[in-house]
Amino acid sequence: MMKSYYKQKKPNRSDAVGKPSKSIKKKSPAALITSPHGAPHLQEDVEKSEQVLREFDMNMAYGPCIGMTRMARWQRAQRLGLDPPGDVKNLLDSGKTETKSLWDDRV
Amino acid sequence: MGGESGEILQRKQAAYTCLDEPFEIGNEKYGGQQYSQIYFARLHVAKTLLYSLIPLWKPELPVCTVLSLEEGKECVIVGTLYKHMKLKPRILDEYSKERSVIPLVKPHNFMDADDYLILEDEGGRVKLDGTVLLPSVYVTGVVVALLGKETTKGDFLVDEVLEAGLAPQIDRPLKLEEDKYVVFVSGLGVGNMTANPLQFQLLVDHITGHLGDEKEQHMAAQIVHVVIAGNSVEIPSEFFNGQNLASKDQSKLSDPIKELDILLTQIAAGLPLDIMPGPNDPTNFALPQQPLHRCLFPSSRVYNTFRSCTNPHCFELDKIKFLGTSGQNIEDMGKYSEAKGELEFMERTMNWRHMAPTTPNTLGCYPFTDRDPFLVESCPHVYFAGNQPKYDTSLLNGPEGQIVRLISIPKFCETGVAVMLNLRNLECHTISFEAEFS
Repeated sequence: MMKSYYKQKKPNRSDAVGKPSKSIKKKSPAALITSPHGAPHLQEDVEKSEQVLREFDMNMAYGPCIGMTRMARWQRAQRLGLDPPGDVKNLLDSGKTETKSLWDDRV
Repeated sequence: MGGESGEILQRKQAAYTCLDEPFEIGNEKYGGQQYSQIYFARLHVAKTLLYSLIPLWKPELPVCTVLSLEEGKECVIVGTLYKHMKLKPRILDEYSKERSVIPLVKPHNFMDADDYLILEDEGGRVKLDGTVLLPSVYVTGVVVALLGKETTKGDFLVDEVLEAGLAPQIDRPLKLEEDKYVVFVSGLGVGNMTANPLQFQLLVDHITGHLGDEKEQHMAAQIVHVVIAGNSVEIPSEFFNGQNLASKDQSKLSDPIKELDILLTQIAAGLPLDIMPGPNDPTNFALPQQPLHRCLFPSSRVYNTFRSCTNPHCFELDKIKFLGTSGQNIEDMGKYSEAKGELEFMERTMNWRHMAPTTPNTLGCYPFTDRDPFLVESCPHVYFAGNQPKYDTSLLNGPEGQIVRLISIPKFCETGVAVMLNLRNLECHTISFEAEFS
């Protein structure tokens, strides 16, 4: 279900990247997809890792994501024995990704 | 301490370990999280536990989630209870345009005959039906496993209930040969205009061995520890009207605490003392309440026998585990459910393995993200609640040989009663003080 949600919004991406500040202000769904700080040539890369992290954010098996950093949420899942995906941890450890969850500051 | 014969009485001692760490907010950083997190942590831990018990309880039945229920199919579901109560005060009532005809709230609690329970898991919620699960017994926030089936109406008809039951307990040391006593007192209410300050002074003198004959001093020398379970001071409510205090009134605000400090110094000079905060004390309001700041007690804090602790408070004395609160958890359950007495509420919290299930719904608590500190992982030997209407005690026996001494500690300023517990056999009795001016 989430996959189709992202697919639907993808066509807007190139528009949104052009004027990131505006789209964030509007809080349009496209704003959730853009990564305002991503340099253009890194675009694909950031996009892919963000995608993985957002799917992690939206996975309710690991609990609510509001008000925690992604790392804290991953560690909680680990501690509770929920076996969170290792690639998420690797991405977060790389330090190149957004530390806050998808909905942070948006709700 | 010395008797008339000149014999020196040696005060007994007990090895003390503080286990308050789970109740310390210390390093938690508030990041805008909501209470969904603590419910998630609670449900996850309790569900894992219940899932391990279900195969022993109903090995032949499938375990379902709320969303996968099928009509008429018998199964087991696990989730958090929510109690729908129409008399429960709601913040939105004030804003509702139409004045609805809500029956008047009873003076003692918010229960109503129409209350019903709902079970929630990670995916959905279902209304519970049937006569097995009594809404009057349960409160919001308890995690249970239920056996039953979905009805045509879409409700879940409950046939049987499985609670977590008493947590595993570490065996009590059996070799204790001598009597050692722990004194529990709560609701000292220093500064209370109607209370008699002489009562507490008498208690202090008794504990420290300044009262009575040799026999009584012998008894006093066996007291190894004092626990003060909340509401030690009472600050006159006229100071809480939101107005700035005149400088001459500012001393009145701190007088009760100064007086308490003087009395506690007398105890701390003689034996170890734990003071827990309660709802009236000057610390944070939401559970777990953090220790009263040491700077409030300039003279007693000098002694290393003086310990300012959290509420709830957990500790060990000679390997006997104590767990208790200043009574907010039990008081709040009394507003939203019914029981014969405070001990029954306490018994239920032990059986649910959760000290304060009504947090955060109707009882304030810190929004923890990764744990629920009120879950009882290992069963204490002594479980107490302060500031209760009357003294009461009982022994709770678990299926695996657990034995828990339950104590409801009355308010000292109203009753003059303190509770003595013998560490050797967990037997309990009261000491009461009465002082009249003639």
